[in-house]
Amino acid sequence: MDDTPSSNDLFLFLASTAHDMKNSISVLSGTLETLLADASPRTEAAYPQMAHMLYQTKRLNDNLIQLLALYKQVGKPEYPFQMEPLEITHLVEQVVAAGRVLLKSKGITLEADFEPDLVWHFDEDLIVGVVGHAINNAINYTGDKIRLSIAKLDGGLEIRVEDNGRGYPAAMLEAGASAMNGISSGVNFLTNSTGLGLYFSSEVAKMHKHRSRSGSLRLENGGKYGGGCFVLNLP
Amino acid sequence: MSVSNPFDSAPASSIQNVKWVEKNYLVIDDFVGVRQLLRESLRNLGAKNIDQAASGGEAIALLTRVRYDVVLCDYNLGEGKNGQQVLEEARLNGLLLPSSVWLMVSAEKSVESVMGAAEHQSDAYLIKPITEGVLLTRLNRVWHKKQVFKEIDQAYMEKDYLRAAKLCDAQIELNKVHEIELLRMKALLLLKSGEPDKARETYERVLQERDYQWAQTGLAKIRMANGEFEQARQIFQGVIAENRYYIDAYDQLALAYQNMGQPEEACNVLERAAKLSPNSVARQRSLGQVSLKLGNVGMAEKAFRKCIAIGEYSVMKTPDAYLGLARVCGMKNEPKEALQLLMTAQREFSGDQIGLRAKITEGMVYHESGDFRRARKAGDELEEMLNANAERPDTATCMEMATLMFAVGVKEAPAELLCYVIKNNHDNSMLLDDVKKIFDKARMGDEGDALIKASKKEASDLMNQGVLLWKTGKLGEAVEWMRHARAKLPDNLRILFNAAQILLSHLQQLGYEEALAAEANEVLLHVDRVAPGHQRFAQLMEQLARLNPAATAAAAAALVADSEIDPA
Repeated sequence: MDDTPSSNDLFLFLASTAHDMKNSISVLSGTLETLLADASPRTEAAYPQMAHMLYQTKRLNDNLIQLLALYKQVGKPEYPFQMEPLEITHLVEQVVAAGRVLLKSKGITLEADFEPDLVWHFDEDLIVGVVGHAINNAINYTGDKIRLSIAKLDGGLEIRVEDNGRGYPAAMLEAGASAMNGISSGVNFLTNSTGLGLYFSSEVAKMHKHRSRSGSLRLENGGKYGGGCFVLNLP
Repeated sequence: MSVSNPFDSAPASSIQNVKWVEKNYLVIDDFVGVRQLLRESLRNLGAKNIDQAASGGEAIALLTRVRYDVVLCDYNLGEGKNGQQVLEEARLNGLLLPSSVWLMVSAEKSVESVMGAAEHQSDAYLIKPITEGVLLTRLNRVWHKKQVFKEIDQAYMEKDYLRAAKLCDAQIELNKVHEIELLRMKALLLLKSGEPDKARETYERVLQERDYQWAQTGLAKIRMANGEFEQARQIFQGVIAENRYYIDAYDQLALAYQNMGQPEEACNVLERAAKLSPNSVARQRSLGQVSLKLGNVGMAEKAFRKCIAIGEYSVMKTPDAYLGLARVCGMKNEPKEALQLLMTAQREFSGDQIGLRAKITEGMVYHESGDFRRARKAGDELEEMLNANAERPDTATCMEMATLMFAVGVKEAPAELLCYVIKNNHDNSMLLDDVKKIFDKARMGDEGDALIKASKKEASDLMNQGVLLWKTGKLGEAVEWMRHARAKLPDNLRILFNAAQILLSHLQQLGYEEALAAEANEVLLHVDRVAPGHQRFAQLMEQLARLNPAATAAAAAALVADSEIDPA
């Protein structure tokens, strides 16, 4: 992280106001969801614009969650990590419910593929946040389909968010790799919020440790739909 | 398995499964927009009866009048009580049903809320924004978990810890998903039952699966209880190195250092913990007391003042911080402020022999500030108070009082007090050594030895007579004798346990009697207050519960009812 005094001041400002802003954004996104749930493109001329407003509101909220989690205390990117056993069904349920209105308003189908009886150990709030963020991101880049698949792989858990869009550009694939390697100099968080999201997600992945292994994140193109793939591995 | 569009299933149907519709809801948030939003979400899920509160005070007023099934409470409520304090007050004052669901809501995850060793945890912690889907998922999950833990919680509340531990095993067989949580509960129950070896096995079983910090901390607590302080210290430090927000490990590490005779280290650890999580009454009190012992007046003052400030809105507040701060004032040669604090303490707290404790502190303040005339006067007043009331405070307070009274020149009352302590702890050799030291310091070594000997004999005579009556089958007389023994020595563990044992024999051999069972229960609960975590306590509690014919029938009926409403 850039540790110059000016960046610390900025994060102090963001962290202290983010808390207050979250209340307003909660109300805003809640209201939009209610409006959209009761409307359809036929009854409401501004339906697509409203859907886009909801997408942007969710992005704002994601950014605030990330800032709060990473910069709760000035210059100390740490967080009270809490690992618990959770049924994967409950993870999927929450992520799907969070994206429901936005997906419907954009006409995108979400396919979820997972073993219902699977139980895994992780920080629920962080992983719901990361996967929700990945789906939100995919909504912006996909054609009309998103696939969330969760399965055991080599003794770990693999969570994949795949879309049928054009796939990640080379620069993004590179940003994904550097976020994981801890090289953040190439990404300017203040102008590139995708970079912030990736940085946050890779930090979350790394926080998950079991014995000698820790979590990881990568971006790739391909998957079942041939589009972009966000792949999170948890030990 | 592939689930396409699982979000098409209407959420309203699943909430109806749980019959949440006709339940009572309370939403607590200081921000009106959030209250309205949460109310809307609950309405969309089918809820009808939704009350709202804008502050902790308002919430308590509503909770006092209405038994809510679901409470959604924001952690940060602005001025006044915070969400955790509202929860603690509601639980401690019995404003919640055992089935009530408490969901704590916050904009961020705070160390205090999730890492605290808080005794009263909410059922779930939700981070804003709260969407209907998340709310429903969590509500359902908490409900299912409450079903799994229902009987265990009931046995826990009745302090039948061994039965509760067995119920955990039974539930693990039925609910693999909750295995880790059930094992955590089982280990806790085994510790409360005085079965540390079995608790250790349980923690080790968890650790084979995952390195849960609470399980590591649990193992270290057992080692500490065994006197293996250095090994315990290493584990606690390892946990902190892995997760510097795991606050329980700090509190335990400080205890380990205190046990190892390193109060400076204990103080450092508590100071670090108090920085990470400053809003704990208990932690600030410990920090204040350790600092006071070390003579670090500045740190003690800061901790006690903080403790009083946090306690203002909390039911967890205790007079200790006021008494401690009064001592600090005495050391700073400000006896006036000290007296002021002692008056406040007596005004704000009732019971717990607060008058006596305030007077002891007053004597210490004068003694430490060199006002020997007033110190002696406080000692004489304490003697009068002891003469006026036959009831005696806990052992630690008795020892403190005796030390002070000797120091200011009172002779008879403190010697009597120490005899009382010995009679109530006649087989606790460590405590007897401490008592001997107090006599020695008062230059009463020989007299003290004689008194200790006589007191020990009096206690064992009282006990042996009861055992003799019991062994010769005179159960009625034995019960009567033990009542007499208990009246004389109300805190003697051996006598209390034997009294309970004899009552149980009476119930077993001469038939079940409600009044005798209640008496045995009362004796055992008193033991658990004086010295928690005794193996014999748990065993006798379990035997007592088994003897009750009504409870056995009710348990069988409950089992049938449960299997009928068991969730899919």
